[in-house]
Amino acid sequence: MLRAGGFKRRSGVSSEIPSSSMADIAFLLLIFFMVTTVFRKEKKRHIDWVTAEETKKIDEKRKNILHLWIEIDGQVYINDQALADEDISSVVRPLYADNRELVVAVRGDRDVPYYKINTITKQLQAAGAVRVTFATRLEHRVMRPRR
Amino acid sequence: MPMLHRKQRVSDEIPTASMADIAFLLLVFFLTTTVFNEEKGLPIVLPEEKEEQEVSPKNLLFLIIQRDGSVIVRRGESEQEQVVAYRQIEGILRQELAANENLIAAIKTDPEAPYRHMINVLDEVKAAGAERISLQMVGE
Repeated sequence: MLRAGGFKRRSGVSSEIPSSSMADIAFLLLIFFMVTTVFRKEKKRHIDWVTAEETKKIDEKRKNILHLWIEIDGQVYINDQALADEDISSVVRPLYADNRELVVAVRGDRDVPYYKINTITKQLQAAGAVRVTFATRLEHRVMRPRR
Repeated sequence: MPMLHRKQRVSDEIPTASMADIAFLLLVFFLTTTVFNEEKGLPIVLPEEKEEQEVSPKNLLFLIIQRDGSVIVRRGESEQEQVVAYRQIEGILRQELAANENLIAAIKTDPEAPYRHMINVLDEVKAAGAERISLQMVGE
């Protein structure tokens, strides 16, 4: 048997959401995100990106990725340092020895002649850093049927 | 001196009721303005130095990229060359891979050809699902 009186019992608990601590919560979140944000140290270089449809996200920790920039004039930069072609392997070798998971992201300008890329891959092979990514931007082409 | 005794009507407390709104506004502002720079690209594993292997010519498919960006396909064992458009590469490679799963796509680029042509071909090769890719330069 249901007791009709059960529904009418007054509840002593407040039905309002406590808003006095809301500011604390919000500031806590704000400070958390401010503290955990990591800023890039590297200078931005001007290159025209190459595009590819098969561009994939690289699932690798940021500290395992080494950026290698090749500007339109063929100048190579690693960690904001301009390098001669033949010095690449001697710079990359100690970095690879420190971190065996190293992935080199080659960020080349789209009009760099290929022999430059070939020299760099040879240098990377000599340094032992064989995991390479050609950094690209995603290309959106007109829909075409997949074969 | 009645002037000095006038009661002040203004509250001397900092209004805390809107503090949550301010904090959340800041939070939302920073959340929306943050740009994550993702690492994106075409991954490839280079062969270890001095680990170059001899491959049977019948397992090779050469994709020769010329200076102007045109692409020539040559089966390893034959001398027959065929000029193809970028869009055809994927289809050709899929056919060849279906016939021979040990096929190696050898991308052979002219030293003076711009980098973007090589990436375009590599893109097509990846689209065809080729796992074994070799990067070479014409005249080596």
